[in-house]
Amino acid sequence: MSGSAMSTATTSPGGATAPPLNLPAPGARDRRRLSPAFGLAAPGTLFVVLALMGPLALMFRYSLNRFVPGQMMVEAVTLANYQKFFADSYYQEVLATTLWVSGLSTLLCLLAGFPVAYFLVRQASDKWKGRLLLLVILPLLMGNAVRTAAWMVILGDKGLFNAFIGLVGVSPVKLMYTPTAVVIGLVSVLLPFMIVTLQSVIEGIDANLEAAASSLGASHLTTLWRVVLPLALPGILAGTMLCFILSMNAYATPVLIGGPSFQMMAPAVYQQVAKAMNWPFGAALAFVLMAVTLVLTTTANILVQRRYRRWSE
Amino acid sequence: MGILAINRIYAALSALVLAFVLLPLVAIVWVSFFANRILSFPATGYTLGWYVRAWEQEAFRNGFITSVETALVAVAISLVLGVPASLALVRYRFPGRDAIQTVLLSPMVVPGIVGGAALFMAFIELEVLLDVEIAGTLPGLLIAHGLIALPWTVRLVTASLVGMSPSYEEAARSLGAGVFTTFFRVTLPIIKPGIVAAALFSFVVSFIDLEKSIFLVGPGRTTLQIALVSYLEWNLDSTVAAVATVQILIIGALLIASDRYARLARAF
Repeated sequence: MSGSAMSTATTSPGGATAPPLNLPAPGARDRRRLSPAFGLAAPGTLFVVLALMGPLALMFRYSLNRFVPGQMMVEAVTLANYQKFFADSYYQEVLATTLWVSGLSTLLCLLAGFPVAYFLVRQASDKWKGRLLLLVILPLLMGNAVRTAAWMVILGDKGLFNAFIGLVGVSPVKLMYTPTAVVIGLVSVLLPFMIVTLQSVIEGIDANLEAAASSLGASHLTTLWRVVLPLALPGILAGTMLCFILSMNAYATPVLIGGPSFQMMAPAVYQQVAKAMNWPFGAALAFVLMAVTLVLTTTANILVQRRYRRWSE
Repeated sequence: MGILAINRIYAALSALVLAFVLLPLVAIVWVSFFANRILSFPATGYTLGWYVRAWEQEAFRNGFITSVETALVAVAISLVLGVPASLALVRYRFPGRDAIQTVLLSPMVVPGIVGGAALFMAFIELEVLLDVEIAGTLPGLLIAHGLIALPWTVRLVTASLVGMSPSYEEAARSLGAGVFTTFFRVTLPIIKPGIVAAALFSFVVSFIDLEKSIFLVGPGRTTLQIALVSYLEWNLDSTVAAVATVQILIIGALLIASDRYARLARAF
């Protein structure tokens, strides 16, 4: 059952996995009712095509243009903007920072999210599970601006954290405008995604399997490692990818908590497009970001699926 | 180790993680009542003065109004486009259904900054072609926010349609009801919880959007989130905390309301 979740997780051109809708399977008899369906779906589809797909295609075209300072953009077909990215050590570093910050945040989300998801499924009553899940999701939807402001209050030089450790006689720590602070901020916004995803896959694992393993003498950790982990792998993969993608694309957290000297990819895109007005390069940055994310998540997907197949044989 | 000890470890870890996730909200609400002129700990006293100051700030007041207007229109756009599309996806099977599903959900998947940048460029291109202003105007912002809300509406409405047996609609049709009568008298009342949840949720995702809006706001047309971020670039005081607290209360109420209609955890 959990295997199907993995096989249907589609990777889109945008570089992210969207959990598919749980639609009924196609049947032959409905073929002739083709026209009303198109009429119903057309306006929404057209809207997305015009407001998202079209602009993305246009942006890709722009990424091949040449940037001439003073006159913005000169029409051309050149890979110069992409070459500039891979030749410039500054942008290499921006990408490297984005990658390690995303990787670390994702790992921390997995480690912190699993116990919560497991607790919610195996120990909380149905009523409490619903309440706690809502409590997990609420902070996520408070908005990046509010959440970031809150972390600034906590992590600032005279912030809550330093005031707190000051009470026990520890001297203040510089947290604001450090990578550590960015990771803390990212983990707090990505954790809900991980918890919700893991929760739904652990829900599908028969608790009797764990009871069987422990009655045969396996310790709890062995049971987790040999029984729960393999079965939860599709959910772990989905949650990990979601968190990784979202942190690759993070904007508000690195800008406000990381400060001016800390650069990640999404802020760099904004910087080039809106501030430097270098559209060709900004566009190229956006497509590099999406391509790197897509390649990494697809590779991870293939590797884990291969491993998973070996396990299930 | 006994089962009891293991259970306690899970409960303790969960409590810790939950505290970590909720800490920012608690901290900012607390700080909004501090009497300290310059933000510091501990509080020298408590006051409601920051709420008055926040409302007196034109950027926050106008931003709030713009955000509410934008979110309401985004809800309307996403329902008008999303409900029929969800019906098509769930009730009909047609070639290209998967492709249409992917397109409809794609705004959720393309990074906000990338989608915002692309829309910004397209608007400027159109401005040059048609000689009208779009990028810094309300219509431009509304298109972006409609795009933000649409996939969530599709998710929540398809989920409730999948849970509804088509035989009600078939019965109505076989008794002579037309397509529209069937939709408004049979389908709509049954999936109403899903639609209400979708509307509330769409409002929230539009209201809190930062990444797409940041390219599209213009002078005098700034959403609350952008006003907050530009304020935060230079100051951090209890005024921001007061605005944040109001936002937390509004969104919290909307989400709790929408969770009553449809389990939100399913939308993710």
